[in-house]
Amino acid sequence: MSNQALLLLQDVLGEPKLIDWEWLRENFSEDVIPALQGHIFLSFVSVAIALVIALPIGVISARYRKIYPPVTAVTGVLYSIPSLALFAMLISIPGVVIGPSPVIIALVAYSLLILIRNTVAGIDSVPPETIDAARGMGLTNRQILLRVELPLALPIIVAGVRIATVTIIGIATIGAYINGGGLGALIFDGIDRQFPTEIIAGAVLATALAIIADLLLLGLERYLRPWARARRT
Amino acid sequence: MIEFRQVSKTYPGSSNPVVKDLSFEVPEGEICVLVGPSGCGKTTSMRMVNRLIEITEGEILIDGEPNTAMSGTQLRRKIGYAIQQIGLFPHRTIADNIGTVPNLLGWDKGRIRARVDELLDLVGLSPDDYRDRYPAELSGGQQQRVGVARALAADPPIMLMDEPFGAVDPITRERLQDEFLRIQENIKKTIVFVTHDIDEAIKMGNKIAILKQGGVLAQYDTPQNILSRPDSEFVSSFVGADRVLKRLSLTRVSEMDLEQANGGTDGLPRISARLTVKDALSELIDSGQSKAVVEKDGENGLLTFEAIEALTSGTSDGGEQSA
Repeated sequence: MSNQALLLLQDVLGEPKLIDWEWLRENFSEDVIPALQGHIFLSFVSVAIALVIALPIGVISARYRKIYPPVTAVTGVLYSIPSLALFAMLISIPGVVIGPSPVIIALVAYSLLILIRNTVAGIDSVPPETIDAARGMGLTNRQILLRVELPLALPIIVAGVRIATVTIIGIATIGAYINGGGLGALIFDGIDRQFPTEIIAGAVLATALAIIADLLLLGLERYLRPWARARRT
Repeated sequence: MIEFRQVSKTYPGSSNPVVKDLSFEVPEGEICVLVGPSGCGKTTSMRMVNRLIEITEGEILIDGEPNTAMSGTQLRRKIGYAIQQIGLFPHRTIADNIGTVPNLLGWDKGRIRARVDELLDLVGLSPDDYRDRYPAELSGGQQQRVGVARALAADPPIMLMDEPFGAVDPITRERLQDEFLRIQENIKKTIVFVTHDIDEAIKMGNKIAILKQGGVLAQYDTPQNILSRPDSEFVSSFVGADRVLKRLSLTRVSEMDLEQANGGTDGLPRISARLTVKDALSELIDSGQSKAVVEKDGENGLLTFEAIEALTSGTSDGGEQSA
């Protein structure tokens, strides 16, 4: 009876093994690695573009306080749109073809709120007396920004980059729905074919990627802040 | 020389000036202390010198030139700036902090390094031990020394100091004040020094400008004259009921004319000539005697209550300033 039942269960699940090591071995370099590379590409490019947009907006928002509420309102709305809906909306815009570009646009849109908010918070965290001393010694506004405010805001900005990166690596899997590629392609394919190995491979790699990226950024932040390692003994 | 000419500051949207018709001169190489209750505009007045705050009316001349003759940033690089909260750059080493202005002025690296070491020595911090540290590794007193060294870095003829020794305990403050006065004897900077503490003003100032609410100059004079001839109720109450004692603290026993002790000094207390007259008076009262022996230039002199009284009576000059 037990044999019969097991066979029946296998029929229902459609696949006997959770992880098909054979499949992994055979498709590793052809499917898994390119999917991982694609995912890294999507995430990295999106965070990079988002930073290039968010840093100046953050700096300007910290200076001219009036524009900060509208900026957070707009980016906050972007942040709250369900990702699947955003992807679908983007490809319905004439001229936007399915593929990586709309995915990157969406991922950038998701990162903006976190990155801008942390840039402003970072600049706000700089002690006013440090800025007063800098101005009093004759640094120009530009020198104060580049030599004092941004370096001191760095830990909070990098903290934002870490959150944004982890978030984006997760959301990027959904980008495969509109042919964005990446690890999501494995997951969607596994769902279509009812093949858990692919789903698990995609999920595990996406999670590992997020954790590794987070740790690397943490290491980078420590490296860029030698003064934080030196504490009064 | 710094010259305030009818300087007023009114913030937009306010009808009351924070500084009103301020006129005085700070002679070359002297310390001028701006002192007064909070809200008297003393910090504002100081910050108008290097144009961290722009003047509404009047002008400030530096060596005869209006301070608006060059850009604000250029002006500020020529004026030392030290503040109570110090504002060291937490992400820069002590050497980088001190080298800030020389670096802005484009000095070469070797010259900056030599200057940093010279200044660390000057403020009593060993260059080898401190040069490469970060501000967070230093105590409050050490940070204030670095703050002063940083203000002196490019050897500016003029310095602005806003309660530069305010953020440390009283004992450290006293030591920093003494050290700075000793340094000033050699460097002879023209200094605008802000404090709310009249004792610090009397100790540090060659001249004192007492300001009252609304940024009005109440009196501008030497510490001696402010203590002996306060020209308004406000000044005498600000200076305090102990102004006679404060005057005594301006003179050292060694500066007094003492009557000769012709023998008969047995049983009398001995007082060091290096004490201020105020401290000597305290010791004299404590001893229960009416006179004490002071050894001065190898001779014994007698310090008496009468001699101290003579020092404070009338409007005559009570001796040289001890600083």
